[in-house]
Amino acid sequence: MTAFRTDWGTISFDDRMATSEFRIHERAHIVVDGDACRGCSTQECVVACPARLFVPTSDGGVLFNYEQCFECGTCYLVCNTKGAISWNYPEGGHGIVFHQT
Amino acid sequence: MTVVACLKWLTPHDADDRFGGISPADSSALEWALRLGEQRGEDVLAITVGPAAADTALRDALACGAQRAIRVDAVDELLSTDVAAAIASAIDGVDVSYVCCGDYSLDRGTGSVPAFLAAQIEARQALGLIEVVLGSDVIALRRLDGGRRERLRVDAPAVLSVEGATATLRRAPLSGALAARNATIEVVAGPVGSHLPTARRPYRPRARVLPPPKGGTLERVQSLLSGGAATKSHGVPVELSPDEAAERILAALDEWGYA
Amino acid sequence: MAERSTDFDAIVVGAGPAGSCAAIELARAGKSVLLIERGPFPGSKNMYGGVVYPRILDELIPQWWEEAPIQRWVTRRSTMIMTPTQALTIDFRSQNWAAPPYNGATAYRPDFDHWLANKATDAGAQLLCSTVVTGVLRDSAGNVTGVRTDRPDGDLTAKVVIACDGVNSFIAKEVGLYGKADASNYTLGVKETLALPKETIDERFGVRGREGVDIEVVGCTEGVNGGGFVYTNLDTVSLGVVLKLPKLAAQKKRPEEIIASFKKHPAIAPLIEGAELKEYSAHVIPEAGYKMFPKLVGPGLLVAGDAAALCLAAGIWLEGVNFAMASGMYAGRAAAQALTRGNTGPDGLKPYLTMLDTSFVLKDHQKLQEIPHLVLSDRVQNQYPGFIANIVERMFRVDNPTPKPGLRRILLEERKRAGIRWRDLLRDGRTGMKGFG
Repeated sequence: MTAFRTDWGTISFDDRMATSEFRIHERAHIVVDGDACRGCSTQECVVACPARLFVPTSDGGVLFNYEQCFECGTCYLVCNTKGAISWNYPEGGHGIVFHQT
Repeated sequence: MTVVACLKWLTPHDADDRFGGISPADSSALEWALRLGEQRGEDVLAITVGPAAADTALRDALACGAQRAIRVDAVDELLSTDVAAAIASAIDGVDVSYVCCGDYSLDRGTGSVPAFLAAQIEARQALGLIEVVLGSDVIALRRLDGGRRERLRVDAPAVLSVEGATATLRRAPLSGALAARNATIEVVAGPVGSHLPTARRPYRPRARVLPPPKGGTLERVQSLLSGGAATKSHGVPVELSPDEAAERILAALDEWGYA
Repeated sequence: MAERSTDFDAIVVGAGPAGSCAAIELARAGKSVLLIERGPFPGSKNMYGGVVYPRILDELIPQWWEEAPIQRWVTRRSTMIMTPTQALTIDFRSQNWAAPPYNGATAYRPDFDHWLANKATDAGAQLLCSTVVTGVLRDSAGNVTGVRTDRPDGDLTAKVVIACDGVNSFIAKEVGLYGKADASNYTLGVKETLALPKETIDERFGVRGREGVDIEVVGCTEGVNGGGFVYTNLDTVSLGVVLKLPKLAAQKKRPEEIIASFKKHPAIAPLIEGAELKEYSAHVIPEAGYKMFPKLVGPGLLVAGDAAALCLAAGIWLEGVNFAMASGMYAGRAAAQALTRGNTGPDGLKPYLTMLDTSFVLKDHQKLQEIPHLVLSDRVQNQYPGFIANIVERMFRVDNPTPKPGLRRILLEERKRAGIRWRDLLRDGRTGMKGFG
């Protein structure tokens, strides 16, 4: 499991994410193949996702959230295990809404 | 007859109309209105009291299948009674079967518009619903205090206010979404001005200036040591008419700093 | 090709800068055009570093500067070479950029893109928001004949489809215009919008009124190949880093950690001290430029903007919105001409490529094709910043009683210390000269 440094500022990651607006849809637009992830030793998505949506589990798998997704595409681009992450955009009108970007 | 859906548009205080919207409860209310309309073979009328930006919510309703949309033009914030009166006046002449409202708006107001509206149009009311079943009758489950529930048969004409989780608003079909962009929205003039208090404050007593302590040092120390008992005010039983009682309560709240 | 009846002459997917410019061209040519946006309003899904170079709009919206929602006009550009303890800044300021037609400008994309999309609807284009295009419709011969959306009864037909659907461009991929996706062609941009009073920003960055600052930094990304940026808005500062995807994953560094260490650097910290985080955002950038371009023309399909990987990440030039606007404009123009001629097949749409070839869009990319790779190379990222900073440090260090060493000696010694081979230095110099020269 990767231990992330936490001394990067006074703001918690949850507070950081709370500054972005997400209009969450009930259908998940990210689907992860759990079996494929258990066989993955690198788990790039866990490190690279700017929203920290991917969390390693103790049995070597990957847990994922889809709610606070920037819809950037980093996860499927860095994923080394073909087809482990199926990714699409959330339903129209939902998902991230940027304000001052 | 017609099913009415009432929607409240809100623009966040720190952003512009692009970021505005309606509450999940209002979205649910619209869905119930559409379902009722389909079941009963009636038209659905979406209505809002708000600024021009609120047309977005009405267009979304038209896209989803509402037949008609009315906006009561109102820029200022209004009292719930005024909003209810404005809606009642706008749908005066419409043969209403059911009115569907969300039980809260995005700004979490008092949620009292549905009740005032029911009184205005002399309809039944079933408020704060957590479940609605459309069969031969409209059966609604209502939340009561203490975890209790009340199951009601709601006959038309009636006002329903629903919670956000009761239904998910359908996805507007492409044809509807395209047509709605140029659909006509009827705009009627709304009430002018606002009777609302000009400043909004949190619901807790205000800090107030206390008179300087009276008495000598010894008395003050005794007063402190008595755990405040010496200065604590006690309830005063009074017997008053309802009107006088209301006045007395308001005066007391004022005195305690709630005003 | 027989003229078929369609819902629209053209459908433009994505109401970003590319899509809106395409729609403006088509609508002004009298074509019926539908602009489809997946966000609740144009710009709501869009994020970038923070500077736009809108001169290409001269063609579409004369005097655009009078109405575009601009935060500040960039009058000061700094390029900073950084190591954990050093920073060398090349700072340029020009008051010529403080008046029309200006040069760079900071703007928020939800504002800028929204404004530009309104220009398209003003021109007569129709805009449909909150709608995702999930795929294209194709006839038996493989020609694109329309789009499928995520709405019920969601198919629409058109004679030509212009894909301006952003860096992930599922459309261009579906039609097979991209080769195999390679993560090393992409970078991840993460950014913080930091609130500070306008007066504080003016004072700290040395600007007045609507003048703004653009700072680009190399060597600030903790060994993950990339770069950093600081841009001034009216009452916020955009600060972020751009990180090469495979490196980010391999180095086990979190994006927000890298931002945090960048913010703590002595050259940056005083600029943003006390600022409150207003918004955190992220987006992927097609960074490899020329080397990763897909085919830009398909059967009944044109690709523009980030979807066509038209982002210029060439070190001192970091541009994208201008390439998007220009490619969108040319795509719209080429599509309108093809529609008028009644030939929207691949050869009918081909003039799009000619327009790109003869404009800055492909000329800049061709000329600078080696640069993105060079800028993100390990040497430029990890060896040269320290090498250069140490040379400057020794030049300015007064080491009495030791006499001043000559520049030549410093250079030789520092090259050795940094472990840089002459061969590589010369080769990189040549590559740089070829691109920038």
